[in-house]
Amino acid sequence: MTEAATNDVAVLLSIGRHPVSGRARRAATDAQALEMALALRPKRLTAIHAGPAADADALRAYLGMGLERLTVLVLPEDADPVEPLIAHLRRLAPSLVLTGRQAEDGEGSGMLPYLIARGLEAAVVSDVVRIGPSDAPDYSASMTDLVQALPRGQRRALTVTGRLIATVHPSAPPARASAFGPARRGVIEPVAAQATADLFLSECEHRPWRPKPKLMRVKRGGSALDRLKAATESKSGKGQLLVNPTPEAGALAIYDSLVEQGMLP
Amino acid sequence: MTQPSPIRPQFRRRVDPRAERAARTVLTGQRPRLLRQPVAAAVNERRRDPRALRAAALIQSQPRPRYDWTRDAASAGTAAAVGIAVATVPAIPLQVIVEPAYLVLAMLDRPGGEVSEHDRQVIAAARLLADAGGGAVVTVCTGSGEALAEAGSDRHVALPDGWADDYVPERRAAAASALMTTLSPRHILFPDSPDGADVARRVATTMGERLFAGVQGLGPDRATRQSAGGSLETGHRPTRLMTVAADAFAPLDGVRHEARPLDLATPVIAGEEVLPRLGGARRLAVDPDALSLSETDFILSAGNGVTDWRSFADLGEALGATRAGSRVVCDAGHLPRERQVGASGTLVSARCYLAFGIAGAPQHLQGITGVRHVIAVNTDLHAEMIKRADLSIVADAQAVMPALIRLIRERRHD
Repeated sequence: MTEAATNDVAVLLSIGRHPVSGRARRAATDAQALEMALALRPKRLTAIHAGPAADADALRAYLGMGLERLTVLVLPEDADPVEPLIAHLRRLAPSLVLTGRQAEDGEGSGMLPYLIARGLEAAVVSDVVRIGPSDAPDYSASMTDLVQALPRGQRRALTVTGRLIATVHPSAPPARASAFGPARRGVIEPVAAQATADLFLSECEHRPWRPKPKLMRVKRGGSALDRLKAATESKSGKGQLLVNPTPEAGALAIYDSLVEQGMLP
Repeated sequence: MTQPSPIRPQFRRRVDPRAERAARTVLTGQRPRLLRQPVAAAVNERRRDPRALRAAALIQSQPRPRYDWTRDAASAGTAAAVGIAVATVPAIPLQVIVEPAYLVLAMLDRPGGEVSEHDRQVIAAARLLADAGGGAVVTVCTGSGEALAEAGSDRHVALPDGWADDYVPERRAAAASALMTTLSPRHILFPDSPDGADVARRVATTMGERLFAGVQGLGPDRATRQSAGGSLETGHRPTRLMTVAADAFAPLDGVRHEARPLDLATPVIAGEEVLPRLGGARRLAVDPDALSLSETDFILSAGNGVTDWRSFADLGEALGATRAGSRVVCDAGHLPRERQVGASGTLVSARCYLAFGIAGAPQHLQGITGVRHVIAVNTDLHAEMIKRADLSIVADAQAVMPALIRLIRERRHD
């Protein structure tokens, strides 16, 4: 019998940025990805970070979650981490790669999982909240069951065949706290890597973000009276009104209205 | 003091003393003479008679005068007698781009078949790029383009209905890539929604293009987005592939474009040549009470008029709705604090809100401004909630709730 897909897991970890203080920290969804990987209890768990070596101190928070060692692909400043990561993952050949949905610092375009999936010829699924080996009746070892978060709190179950890159949604199980002792004892292994500079990012110009005015939904056009009505009057008088119906008649009206809105089958 | 009569008396004709004097003046003779008898006064066309205008605009005098200033003064006399003014809708001129210099593609989500606010914003952003150089906006989504004409779409590519109902991001990305090669547009915009962002990134990887994600500001030669966790603004000239952040652009209003169906030589959907690696997608049942109020779609809410809490809980279970309450209910401890709707609780944006025994304090109505369909059950006919609701039932909540539970159980067993 072949091994289940969740037995060989790699986690891609980045250095986060606190939204208020701007200090380096463990990235929130990356930590949740590591939590998910630790909860799977894989036979082999590899944690990889790609970036400048000077930032390595912030990575100890991940080691404090129970990792023994963390591989750092040492890149120069402003280098594109995609190619070194693909090259490293090709050597490791994990069956499942977990990572956060978007970096908290740097470009933060959310493209990295997709580019790595193309490099590894793997499937990519975004916004995963639960993952596990498949329990389908036509079980094969290369299939993985996962649950994806949708807007409005909805959930969708999926089955994925073959190698998988999954990004983790913020509503996944919360990351465990980082302990100081393991964080000190954990080993950070620097690995030299070849990388090219990101030309697109050097073309971009950066300036501090200034909050923009909130988009107001004002009704334009029409007369001043129409605009005043739209701005001041709440929708009224258009609804249906039943005065003192019998409870059954009232319940029937509510039921019909809910069916019409698609809230009841 | 005498009480003024509620009905205004007939107004006197407005006097123009200079014109009357000029009419009475006889200039023949040695010096001008003034006639005693007034001659019919010459009407000065340019002189406004505000009283006549006001009388013409009066559409209702009881219980208080109401005026409609939208009608023009010429036809006012006849319309005032009827009392109903039919506002003429000014025709919005149709804007046609016959020979577009280039194309801007807007790949819309259109969730559930209706054009969402985010879709309109994407079209508005695409118009910014298209109008700068005489280009045309091509919208791509399921369904017909008629609803998109007033959002600003010049051309429309209709995808077959229901082909993307299941979760098939690989197929959607393949269709978008195929359109990119056949139409060779200058820019392609996606909404930065969960689905749109996923497809955009898949397209960017297959086409080997750089994606400029979450565009917040857009001009013909500069696009900006947030980076470094929202602390930096990154600017670049508009790239080929971009996703448009939510609520960054105002949707267009008062425009009409043609949204003409675009003839494509090759079909968009290139069969099943992509081997789907994702499969077996199915929605999971979600416990409605585990959802937060801000993200749930269907809320059952209780106010001070509810005393039968067992029925309320049963009804929530039978409907599959998230339970919530007004401030009074949460203060009294009938529901936890995070279940409070209103200004000091949660501002909800559910699609349907079923309220039992809620009078509708302004703070509560503020919390439900984003709700599309409101059903209210209350004993007070004059409550604000009754005015706000789309279906209002003046009845006791304790009587209606068990009747509704019985009805749902009956229908379910049928």
